[in-house]
Amino acid sequence: MDLEFTLNGRPVTVTVDPDLKLVHLLRDVLGLTGTKIGCEIGLCGACSVLLDGVLVKSCTLPVLRVAGRSVVTIEGIQAPDGGPNDLQQAFLAHGATQCGYCTPGMVLAGEALLRHNPQPTREEIRRAIAGNLCRCTGYQQIVDAIEATAQLRNRK
Amino acid sequence: MATLTYVGDPQAQPVDGLEKVLGRARYVGDIRLPGMLHAQVLRSPLPHARIVRLDVTPALQVPGVVAAITAADFVDHGAFGWPVRDAFILAHEKVRCVGDPIAAVAAESEAAARAALQAIVLELEPLPVVSDPARALEPAAPLIPPESPTGKGNLCQTHIVRNGDPAPLLAAAAVVLDETYSFAHQEHAYLETEGVVAIPEPDGGVTLFANDQSPFINRDNTAMVLGLPPDKVRVIQPPVGGSFGGKDDIVYQCSGQAAKLALLTGRPVRLVLGRDESMAASYKREAMQIHLHLGATATGTLVAARAELLADSGAYASMTPLSAWRATMHAAGCYRYTAATVDTQVVYTNNGYSGAFRGFGNTQATAASEMAIDELAYRLGQDPIDFRLKNSLRQGDRAFTGNLIDHEVGLQRCLEWVRAHSGWDRRRAEFAARNANPRAMERHGLGVACYFHGSGLGGEGVDYANITLRIDEDDGLTLQAALTDYGQGSRTVFTLVAAETLGVRPERIRLLRPDTQTAVESGPTVASRASMVGGNATRVAAQKLAQLLAFAAAEALHCDPAQLIRDGERYIGPTEEPLTFEQVVAHARALGLQLSAQGYWEIPRIHWDFEHGTGVPYACYSFGAQVAEVAVNRRTGKVRVVKVWAAHDGGQLIFPQGALGQFYGGIAQGIGYALTEGFTFRNGYPDKLNYDRYHIPTALEVPEMEVTFIATTSIGPFGAKNLAEPVMIATAPAIANAVFHATGVRVRALPIRPEWLGEKV
Repeated sequence: MDLEFTLNGRPVTVTVDPDLKLVHLLRDVLGLTGTKIGCEIGLCGACSVLLDGVLVKSCTLPVLRVAGRSVVTIEGIQAPDGGPNDLQQAFLAHGATQCGYCTPGMVLAGEALLRHNPQPTREEIRRAIAGNLCRCTGYQQIVDAIEATAQLRNRK
Repeated sequence: MATLTYVGDPQAQPVDGLEKVLGRARYVGDIRLPGMLHAQVLRSPLPHARIVRLDVTPALQVPGVVAAITAADFVDHGAFGWPVRDAFILAHEKVRCVGDPIAAVAAESEAAARAALQAIVLELEPLPVVSDPARALEPAAPLIPPESPTGKGNLCQTHIVRNGDPAPLLAAAAVVLDETYSFAHQEHAYLETEGVVAIPEPDGGVTLFANDQSPFINRDNTAMVLGLPPDKVRVIQPPVGGSFGGKDDIVYQCSGQAAKLALLTGRPVRLVLGRDESMAASYKREAMQIHLHLGATATGTLVAARAELLADSGAYASMTPLSAWRATMHAAGCYRYTAATVDTQVVYTNNGYSGAFRGFGNTQATAASEMAIDELAYRLGQDPIDFRLKNSLRQGDRAFTGNLIDHEVGLQRCLEWVRAHSGWDRRRAEFAARNANPRAMERHGLGVACYFHGSGLGGEGVDYANITLRIDEDDGLTLQAALTDYGQGSRTVFTLVAAETLGVRPERIRLLRPDTQTAVESGPTVASRASMVGGNATRVAAQKLAQLLAFAAAEALHCDPAQLIRDGERYIGPTEEPLTFEQVVAHARALGLQLSAQGYWEIPRIHWDFEHGTGVPYACYSFGAQVAEVAVNRRTGKVRVVKVWAAHDGGQLIFPQGALGQFYGGIAQGIGYALTEGFTFRNGYPDKLNYDRYHIPTALEVPEMEVTFIATTSIGPFGAKNLAEPVMIATAPAIANAVFHATGVRVRALPIRPEWLGEKV
């Protein structure tokens, strides 16, 4: 059946199998491989995307649930010039990415947090990324990057 | 030493970070090629069984299925494995653990490939399961490998240390400790599972994009099982989503399967494991039991140590014989003894299989010895840090293995740092007073642990690397390494070392992907050796180019190379206008100089006599200490890590943000090892196959960490030392010792199960 939704700010119409999960629509049909697969049971957060601005796990989300709604993937997060935005720059500056596999989900978790809580404490940042597993960094530099971005955005 | 510009720059960023934060890095599972087939693997549901019947022809009738293979499709049934050749690309005659691959199929879609697995005819005759490593050694135990590598049943390997006779010293010691410590398996749990894309080539060869750690070993292995010359197999490493030691043998197995399917079908084949499959089929950190017998004088001087280790290799040897050797070389810890012996046995069981994992045996060895040392200090009535300072190795001492520590030792400075920064003396007293309140639901404690960790491969083999570096037409530089980067930052380390040595901006340097067709073989990327060995090889290559450029610059500036001064990238002579890097390169070209170089470096060779258990296991060591603060809930027995202070004797840092990331990440894995992980088997059946049951720490379970690097001298590039593995190994014992401080309960098994601790407190 046909599915219409907004993807990274642009309208999309695709014919889908209703049993398909969003992550497979994004990766296998639409070719957006920035959204990763880690566990396929909605636990690791590598497949995180924003659905109407809220962080969700796309590996357990049936595609029809996004009908008429707005989905933002990591491909939709960037500066106007196509380079990294301030949060992505902060990930680079603070050493918040190692293997990089959790990074798209972590960036989206950070964006989701900062959109509704512009001045989070470190504890709040930890809570906001607690559904996104990282096996490399021990999270500290990810918390640093999100905290620094919040401070930067608040100064603007 | 001259001031460093790029090496040690706290602003330095990872060279491959941009594509990762933008979501553009392309991992194996992201590769999609025209005509690509999807592979799936049929795996054993039983821990030990004979294959009575296996027929893949019905699978070929399933619509969309193009090929199906078994062990019969490989040379010598696909036997592989080093140092013991006891594994198969697909199971031959029997399965030895749950998850053992039996057959593989390639189909037009994932769904068709899955349906094909259902159609395969498989009949297994269950064999008795061996799950207790001690019972595996009984003469009546069923034999797990096809033949015993030692001629002694399931005994896979033994190691010894013989340094004097501890027996009379232990008998005469005023205080002794005689305890056994046990450690569960640990799963790497890298976020990206194992995967391979295999592409058939017109010359009959195959190209593999594989997320392995050591592409050259993969190449040789795949060529062997396919019956191809090694140059017909090309292995390219894409970005790798974490490894921690975990993506070698299992990825070689996947590579053999995908390569064969690609050659049979003439089409690209992608094989990416699902999480359940990865957890069942991939190797783990080996479970281990360590018996320690330590003795000290009444005033607290250690005199002797005896250790017995039993390592559970599971169904295959993989790297366990070598990690058990490293465990043996660290078994009595970083202390002075008059005499010490170690006896280690590696055994086969049907508990999955074990192999390399960050720390490589020293994780268990240090956890055991640090829990034991802590208990010995307590029995002597001495402060745990004082006792360690008194007995720990210093330059000029001999390790318990008998070899001289002839280099600078930062261990004591690390202990002093964690003592000062954690507020050890004051807060230990405060916690003790607070814990005396019987109504307090939470008990608080501070615990310490320290370590030494032999650098590089040590007695395991020659420890070398090759790097190639050239200046291109656009005056950029191309660097290639065969040592790989699976997140630990070695690509950035090589870039910064080359930039520093040549006096050029790091942005000029591009790195090729590790590729067996274009890189020069450099041994495996293991043992935290990439920065030290690969970094030094980079420095050698860059120095060769620097000499050529200095010659050209001196010629152009009509002076002697010794008179040249560098200002940023510019070359300044005594009289004429300074030259830019581009001008010097142009002049070098005009002179006909060859602007490419290869750098080779190896760690000074040492010798360990495996037969007699004597010699020098490592050319040098790194050291460190950590303090953990815990809160133990008396009702639930749950341990919360409140904070960790850690100091590592890391020499000169090359890529500081990366080094910090290794440090924090190592501590986080140590927290998981201590508290929530534990990959357990019930009569050979794995208990946990996804993140719902195998719980790795989240951002809420990893506390804020305060870490530092203590600078000591080293043979590494610009004085760098290895760090990726050692930084994790003190965390678990520091937590265990903090739990004792909080509760008075001695931990002798990891992970610490809340049910167990709850009952004790």
